Amino acid sequence: MNSREKILQRLTQSLRSVEKPSLPPPHEVWPKTNLAPAMMLNRFSDELQEIHGEVLCCADLSHAARELAGLVGQAGWTKLGAMDRSILRQLAAAMPPAMLAWPDAAWSPRRIAELSAGLVAPELLIADTGSCLFVCSTTEERLLCYLPPACVVVAYASQLVEHLPAAWPNVMTRAADRSLRGELLIVTGPSRTTDIEKILILGVHGPKRLVVLIVEGE
Amino acid sequence: MLEQQINLSGAEFLKNKTRGLHVPAAPKALGETAERAAKTNRAATDAVPYFQQWREAAHHIKRYVIANLDRLLVEFEQNITDRGGTVLWAADAIEANRHLLDIAKQHQVRRVVKSKSMVSEELDLNRVLQALDIRVVETDLGEFIVQLAGQRPIHIVTPAIHMSAADVGRLFAEKLGELFTTEHQRLTDIARRHLREEYLAADMGVSGCNFAIAQTGTLVIVENEGNAGLSTATPPVHVALLGIEKLLPRLEDLPLFLNLLPRSGTGQKLTCYTHLIHGPAPGKKLYVILLDNGRSNVLQDQAARAALFCIRCGACLNNCPVYRRIGGWAYGWVYPGPIGAALTPHLLGLKTAGELPFASSLCGACGEVCPVKIDLPHQLVHLRHRAVKEPSPLKSWRERLTWAVWAWFMAGPLRYRLAMWAVHVGLRLAKFLPWHPGKLGAWTRGRELPLSPATNFRRWWKEYQKGHKSR
Repeated sequence: MNSREKILQRLTQSLRSVEKPSLPPPHEVWPKTNLAPAMMLNRFSDELQEIHGEVLCCADLSHAARELAGLVGQAGWTKLGAMDRSILRQLAAAMPPAMLAWPDAAWSPRRIAELSAGLVAPELLIADTGSCLFVCSTTEERLLCYLPPACVVVAYASQLVEHLPAAWPNVMTRAADRSLRGELLIVTGPSRTTDIEKILILGVHGPKRLVVLIVEGE
Repeated sequence: MLEQQINLSGAEFLKNKTRGLHVPAAPKALGETAERAAKTNRAATDAVPYFQQWREAAHHIKRYVIANLDRLLVEFEQNITDRGGTVLWAADAIEANRHLLDIAKQHQVRRVVKSKSMVSEELDLNRVLQALDIRVVETDLGEFIVQLAGQRPIHIVTPAIHMSAADVGRLFAEKLGELFTTEHQRLTDIARRHLREEYLAADMGVSGCNFAIAQTGTLVIVENEGNAGLSTATPPVHVALLGIEKLLPRLEDLPLFLNLLPRSGTGQKLTCYTHLIHGPAPGKKLYVILLDNGRSNVLQDQAARAALFCIRCGACLNNCPVYRRIGGWAYGWVYPGPIGAALTPHLLGLKTAGELPFASSLCGACGEVCPVKIDLPHQLVHLRHRAVKEPSPLKSWRERLTWAVWAWFMAGPLRYRLAMWAVHVGLRLAKFLPWHPGKLGAWTRGRELPLSPATNFRRWWKEYQKGHKSR
């Protein structure tokens, strides 16, 4: 008998006399309040800034491109690596081509680590916690979120949901797809630690800086 | 041949049970930090009007999981296998370590990065890999510090909670050749610089798991630093270590636990990174090792099953007055604090760890804060009953003789007075002895023995009554 069978047999024997409770229905966690879009935007912005993230609201994509150019110039970034997403391709059209790279499977992690920042697009924004939900099906998409020293997120305001349970139908649909690989990633602020004397320090392994550009017009 | 000589049997229970008792400085730093963490986390949970309903709901879900563990494990195995993962089962630490060595051999692994995992502490994995000349580096900042210092984690969430910035500065200067500093930012930057290269050069990443979803085969890891993401995504091979009790039945159950765990663990609404891993990314390998290592023993004791509900938030540690004074190492094994005292005797046996349930004042704070409503005080009382009835250190002739003598002295007023007199004199004479035996010796190595008061209650009461009457 192999270990799998041994463990399962032990469990089955131990559980034979146990009263089997029925599976409780999924818990609501937070009630849905159908928050107005403007309120969600405010809450997202407040929550993210509270945890040391930055939010820039932009009227449209060209405004976002200008804000991004400003960030690049101000921080002295030389090269950004972008996820292959439609919103980022549109944004790229307004930027110098040499500024952006589109990492694919041929890129080693070391090359991604040399980028100044990752330019990433989430599936949803979660207002209640200031979080961004990403679907990263490849290694390079995963690494763009947490390997370069800074992370710039670009999303439409229409992608905002009020809280984690409101984001969950989307997560469930994604996870039900049996071909999904890699990870669904929720990012809530820049990388942080309090491991030394409980003092908060940003950027311990992941990005020290997280900037979210929210495009209000489609 | 070398592999046959390696001891694969996992973390030992510290033979020296007095370890930690004689380091009063460390528990002082730890006590203050743990108390501060307890207050922050309490504020985070108190701010949620539904928190008690969440605890109740989480308790019921975990009860369902444990009652159906055999079926859910098979469901999880099927679903993660369908997504390209490889599941390996391990009855104990020896088998889990053997699986890890086989994987390392198959993929010609020379360098390993490890994100925080208490299960890997059970396996004593670093020692096993290092014995094969495989470089293994802890990447969680606290674990990295503890590894450099050659220690075990003192807390399950903040492993280096006992060390000051100056301690860390000295350690980095000595072990990494860095300039001494006490600045938190600079210390963190040093760790970042050293660990970055480790991620990029690693052949294999090892992680723990906070939850695993049976319905979808999802592995869930929550973290703040980004080290779990880097350890699992950068190397070509990811090995996830999973205690068999970590399952949740459905993905719909996860938002509840993602709201509970960070609030109780670190006082956050949500941790910085929440990874829901659905099989290996293209070109990568994912192995999941399902570890029993004594967990099925817990199931055999009906009154103790709830100990398997634990989601390792560390709230019971921060709130425990005993843990704050003695620190994590005094519990002798991987899991400290009230949950360690309730879990370790099952995982290692009462014979080895039967004394642990007595390391509690039964004040009830741990049970009050547990986010999955484990009735820890009653778990500890139940284990105390078992420890005095079954083979354990509490059933030794020395223990029985001690309590028989104690009971005899307590049974009569004259005998009681005689005993109190002996204690009074003994405490005064003890400081003149050249050495103190056993645990007393370990305790007094760093502390003064307390002096008994000049008068006792009986005498004070008599005088008080006299004064009262004469008024």
